[in-house]
Order: sequence, then C-alpha cells, then structure tokens
Amino acid sequence: MTKDFNLPPLARLAHAGHARRCLSGLPDSQIELDSGRMAVAFYCLGALDLLKMLQDKVSMTDRESWQEWIWEQHTRGKYGSGFRPSPFMTVSSEVERTTSYTDYDTPHIIMTYTALLTLAILRDDFSQLDKQGILLLLKACQREDGSFSTIPGGGETDLRTLYCAFVIAHLLDDWSTINLQNAFSFIASCRSYEGGYGQSAHCEANGGTTYIAMAAMELAPVSTTPLTALEKRKTIEWALHNQLESGGFCGRTNKLADACYCFWIGGSLKILGAGDLVDSRSLASFLASCQFRFGGIAKAPGEHPDPYHTYLSLATLSMFPPPVYENDASGSSWIFDPLDPLINARQETADWARKYIAIKH
Amino acid sequence: MSVSVPEPLRYADRPEWNDVAPVEQYENVNPLAPIFYTNEYKDATDYFRGIIKTGEKSQRVLQLTEHIIRLNPAHYTAWQYRYETLLAIEANLEDELRLMDELAITYLKTYQVWHHRRLLMLQIRKPAPELVFIARTFQVDPKNYHTWSYRQWLLAYFNDANLWIGELDFVEELLNDDIRNNSAWHHRFFTVWQSGVREGEEDRERVLRRELIYVKQSISLAPNNASAWNYLRGILDHNSIPYQKMITFVQPYTLLLDEQVADLVDLENPPPSKSAHLPCASAIEFLADIYEAEGGNSMLKATELWKSLGNEHDISRKKYWEYRIREGLRAIQT
Repeated sequence: MTKDFNLPPLARLAHAGHARRCLSGLPDSQIELDSGRMAVAFYCLGALDLLKMLQDKVSMTDRESWQEWIWEQHTRGKYGSGFRPSPFMTVSSEVERTTSYTDYDTPHIIMTYTALLTLAILRDDFSQLDKQGILLLLKACQREDGSFSTIPGGGETDLRTLYCAFVIAHLLDDWSTINLQNAFSFIASCRSYEGGYGQSAHCEANGGTTYIAMAAMELAPVSTTPLTALEKRKTIEWALHNQLESGGFCGRTNKLADACYCFWIGGSLKILGAGDLVDSRSLASFLASCQFRFGGIAKAPGEHPDPYHTYLSLATLSMFPPPVYENDASGSSWIFDPLDPLINARQETADWARKYIAIKH
Repeated sequence: MSVSVPEPLRYADRPEWNDVAPVEQYENVNPLAPIFYTNEYKDATDYFRGIIKTGEKSQRVLQLTEHIIRLNPAHYTAWQYRYETLLAIEANLEDELRLMDELAITYLKTYQVWHHRRLLMLQIRKPAPELVFIARTFQVDPKNYHTWSYRQWLLAYFNDANLWIGELDFVEELLNDDIRNNSAWHHRFFTVWQSGVREGEEDRERVLRRELIYVKQSISLAPNNASAWNYLRGILDHNSIPYQKMITFVQPYTLLLDEQVADLVDLENPPPSKSAHLPCASAIEFLADIYEAEGGNSMLKATELWKSLGNEHDISRKKYWEYRIREGLRAIQT
C-alpha cells in the first residue's frame, strides 16, 4: 500500500509563514487564547524550530525582545515561582508588577512548562530562573490524590498538569517536591479497560492523556516501569487501532482522524518502543491532506489551521519521517531532525533545556 | 464589523461604575503573540483588573465577570473571582446553575464551564437534576468529553444509590441511537464494573451473563464495531475469563456470511445478521488471540490469521501483523 501513491510536498515555507504571522498578532476571534498565550508562543516558535527556520524568519532583535517578554511573565510569590500565561491579569504600574503576585495573577504549571521550552528554543541561558521557587510551585500544586492543579489553590486538576509538572522536575533534575507514589496512583486510576488513559479517574481512554501517562511514567526517576508487559501490549494495541485508513489517528475509538492525535497517539507508541509498527507513509499522507493552502496545518482536511495543530503535525513528522521514493516530487521537504518524544521538543532543544535548567547539585 | 448589534455602553460611560478606577494590562513594547482585543473586551477587563485591586465582591462583580466570560469563556481568573464572589455575597447558587445551563451549552468544549459547575455542585449537593441536564446536552453532542467526565464524577463522588438507578437504561438509549458511541460503551463499563456493586447486582455471575449477551447481540447487529469488541475484551479481562470461552461465538464472524445460520435465535452465540459485512477483522484478531494463548500447534493457526489480516482484511496495519507473526514464531521456537 505504501508505494502506490505519491506524497505531495510539505509546504515548509508556508507553514513557517503561518507560525511567524501568529507570533506577530492574533485576531480578536482568538480572544479565548488570552489566558494561554504562552502555549501559543510555544507552538509557533516550536514550529519554526522544527522547521529549522527560526534564524531566517525571526530577527535577532525580535528573538531578544521575546525572551524579555517571557521573563516578564516569570513571577515569584507565596506559592513559589513560575510563569504566567500572559500579562492578561498584570496591572500597568511598574512598582506593582515587580512585587509578589496576588491570588489572581499566580504562575500556572502548564504555562511554566511551555515557557521553559520556548526559552530553550530561543537558547536562553536561564540565569534568571528561580529554580528553587519552581520546586515550591510544584509542591503547592500537587493534590492529595496525586494530581496537580493548573494554578496553586485552584483551577482544574487532570493528567495534563501532572505531565507538565513531571517535565519541569525532569528539566530541573530534582524530584524532591513531588510525591511520586501518589502521582503514580493517580495515573493508574486513569487507566481504562481499553488500554488507554482518560483525563481523570473513570474517564474514557483518550489519545492526549494516554501520551501524557506514558511520557510521565517514562520521565519519572524510577528504574522499573510500573506497567506489566501485558498492560503495555494492551496499550500498544489500542493505540495502533486508532490509526485509520486515511493514515491519520483518532483520539478515541470510533472517532474521526485528527492531526493532533497523530502526535498524541504516535508519541505514546514511540515511548512504548512500538514506533516502528506505525505506517509512517500513510500518516504523512494524512498530514499532507490537512495542510491549508495559505500555510499552517488543520485538524482535518478542509478545516482552518492553527498553531496547535501545525506544531503537533510537524512534531509527528519529526518522530515518524516517512520513507520517500523517487516519484515523490519533494521528498526532501519531509525530512526533520529527531524529536525528544518525552518532553516534546527538537532533540537539540531538549538537550539545551536539560543542560541549562538542571539544578547543579 | 458588519453585524448590526450595537456595542454595549462602555463601563467608563456608566455612572454606576465611575467609582472604579480601570487598570490597563501591562504589556511590553514587543509582545509575543499579542491578541488584537476588541474595545469591548479591553474595557471590561480594564474594569475587572480595577475591581481585583480593590478586592470588591458584590452583585456588579457578577455582571462584570459574566460579561468577560461571554467574551472569553477560558478566562480562568474571571471564573475564579466570580466563584469567590458568589460565596462572599451568599448569592443564590441555584440561579447561578441556571445561568450555567445556558453557558455550558454555548461553550460546551471549554474546561472552565465544567470546572465551575463542579464547584457549584460541591456547595449545592443536589446531583440528581444534573443527570437530567447532562442528558439534554447529549442531544447537542453525545460524545462531549467534558460532559461525560462530569457525569462520571457526579456519580462517583455522590455515589447515592438513587443516582445510579437509571444509568444502565440511559446508556442503552444512547447505544440505540448510535451503536458506535464509544463514550456510551465506556460509561457502561464504568457503571457495571468499576463503581462498586449495587442492590440487585450482587449476583455477579448473572450480571456477567447479562453483559455478555448484550455485547454479543450488539456485535451480531454490527460486527465491525471496535467499541463493542473492546467492551467484550474488557469484561473478559476484568472477570479473568479466557478468550477461549468465546470461540463458538467468534468463529462465524471470521468467515464469509453463511445465509443458513443467520436466522437462528441463539442468545449465547448470536450469529451475524444478514447485512453483516464479513469476515470481520476484529473477530479474526480475537480468534488469533485465542490460538496464541493456546500455544503449541495453535500458534501456527494464529500466524495464518495474522497473515490474512495483514494481506487482506486490515492492510493498513500490515506492519503490526507482521510483528505479531514474528513474535508468535519466536514463541514457538523457545
């Protein structure tokens, strides 16, 4: 099956253009991203990083001033330190801005994860990072059941936040403020009979949270994996069955293929050591069909593109480079550097992050 | 903007707000991924930051936060402050819930809408009407993840015998509408197997028999339905029953349709319906798993089935079936 169709070109320049445009500004229809702008920045700069077009597309001045913008979201206070999603709750006065945060302008775990990766993409030296303060934030956000809340004292708790907390601890190379045993039992409570993981206890198996469970268990500093061989096999089977005839993955049994689940489920398989069982050529062909004419990649063919699906599609291709054949007009457009599937960054960026964020003991 | 809805009066032009000093958002000269706010959003959030500064919690704060939430339902601080205000002024939380009925349907996919609802329910503690409300939202989207997750939380958290009474019928109704609704199948598993044993369900053998009949019947109506096969595997695993016990049921689904048997009524082993598209890949996979578990000479039968999946019935997973064959053959050799 894999050889009887031609792979169209991946429009690298157009996708870089889409990411670059979103960094310059988003229309008012995107107002819902106001409290998640750091993640948007990560997806856009991450896309440029995967495409290796950061230097070409963004001037040194812009890169420096964006680093400065991210550091302005770094904040300290009674629950520890971390990054805010954006200045959406930051008041104008210079004096107030530099003092400790209020209960309504605290750092956010998911945004701290994306800020650290974005700074690594920009090759920051992290000399301004309050590492001990971040360890405190992790402690302040972990609940008794092992889960993590997005912000100290409130916000939703589910597996997403746990994953972000684990990546942060991994980058800091310090797990001293996380109760791993409770975290593991929370992960276990999210496992479903299908072999995938739900967002919290009792929930339906879903690609995103399955990736998160797999990555979190692999990141944790324990020598043995808490899954039995049989459980692993069940998860692999469930994940592989979510690849549909189009080549794309759906996030739940009997749903439609979506570009983001190509990453979440593909990443789970990669972490489980079963990446070579994925049909990477049909996967690439599905992602090719999600490309938007004027740049960017959408969740499905015919939909509108956004930074989230664009980044995750490129990250998928970095994990699953398709075999290219002579008949493919632009075979070289599908070639990427390898991705670190656990923290979700280009390998070189991930190595940079680990090197500069780790607490030197 | 071509829409003819008039812009609402700015807070600055409303006399009842002139005691509040608006506070602008601080933004660096070169912001990263800035959003071009509408004047309405900028105005409302300026006054919200002003309110946060003074710590005011009052009725008008509820109006202001509702305004912001309608413009940006993901504004988690507006939700957070709204909740604190509701408690501080001892507002009628039932009224709040009615407002949420509307917002939940408008912003079905926003985390915050459902989180707020959970917080309200922890105060109100009347979960039963919530199940009715959820059923209503399923008419809009019967697979919405947040809604299902909220329902599962309500049931598990309050865990009141009366709450569970209608749950199985509810699932069946949804499965009658769409036999491939995996969320409903999942909920069935949660209700029957993962939430304790309720009155009338103590005889687990009987429950198991009922569930096996149900899922086999469903497979006979629509064999190519991964949700049903996953449920079958799920209950066998959960009850530690070897897949081998299903061999008589599964076999006809691995072959071409036999017109003769299709009219038989057999609850234990319902045959494929006349419209069934056979052979069914899920059945072949299931039968191969049976042979693999038997080991020995049966392993060769398993590899033949995997071969047929990779070459004919499930070509897109060819790499996987080849892997199963390699593993199977290796198991024979060792």
